[in-house]
Amino acid sequence: MKDDLQDFMERPKQYENIDGTSEMGMGVMMLSFALVGFLSAILPEGALWRKNGISTFLFLPVVMTPILVFQYWGVKAIKKHITWPRTGYVAFHRSGRSWWKILGVTLAVSAVFGAGTVFVMMLARRFHALNLERAGYLAVLLATYAFFVFRWSREHTWKWLVVIFMALGLLAIALVVPGSIVESFRYVALFVGLVWLGSGVATLFSYVRRTQPPFPETA
Amino acid sequence: MNDQLRAISELDRVIHEPGRLMITALLAAVKECDFRYLLHETEMNKGNLSGHLSRLEEAGYIEIEKTYRGKVPQTVLRLTKAGRAVFDEYRKGLKSAF
Repeated sequence: MKDDLQDFMERPKQYENIDGTSEMGMGVMMLSFALVGFLSAILPEGALWRKNGISTFLFLPVVMTPILVFQYWGVKAIKKHITWPRTGYVAFHRSGRSWWKILGVTLAVSAVFGAGTVFVMMLARRFHALNLERAGYLAVLLATYAFFVFRWSREHTWKWLVVIFMALGLLAIALVVPGSIVESFRYVALFVGLVWLGSGVATLFSYVRRTQPPFPETA
Repeated sequence: MNDQLRAISELDRVIHEPGRLMITALLAAVKECDFRYLLHETEMNKGNLSGHLSRLEEAGYIEIEKTYRGKVPQTVLRLTKAGRAVFDEYRKGLKSAF
């Protein structure tokens, strides 16, 4: 009984992405990384902004601006004009404790991710299979989307087809695009970003089709 | 009366009703929400939902604020401290009863 009640109490969290805004946010973030990758590639060799570290610092605004603009104005506009008038407004607790929880989870995930990367790199060096590194980070990108679908978007069964599509796409990039992880990352980020964004837009369209246009509220 | 029966008999009757339990559980998971969201999540009709909300408000478990979003009327609902405490107790009672 407790589990059923707990499951029911999870529904507001799933409601957060009922309109696909979380997926679109991820898409915008990945596309920003792709933009930086392509900008770096077209800039002259030996230029200051192509040096590791400095380029990261210089391009930070290029990555952050679209993310912040979408999160602040884009999500707000979709919620205000589409979601809240159709299926209602929800505000979540933003207590200090939850921020500590987020920080803790982020640190734990980063630690696991870092340890996994080191492990894969050690394996790659030992067995001289450099593609193992690439396979590892592509698997992480795929697993992130699959976990998102499993945890927050289970009712959309079609998203499992998107998971398969993403897997095939990443496999194709791994086989076709030459070069190191850094060189191929812009193509990976572009593809993954477009998939996340497309999935979010499809979720929004599906939501608009399933729900009724706004009606006057009476309580 | 054994502990299990006592735990069942001491469950809060206002919250225990399925419709009100759904409303309270949803409100416990959020800071606040509006009437339309509860309509969407609980799939009740407006009359039923209004009736349950009035009962919860009478018991002092929720706050109902009539406001406007632009020119559109909006009813914002949130759990009171007492409501949250009673709901937590209810969950503990339910756990110990079963």
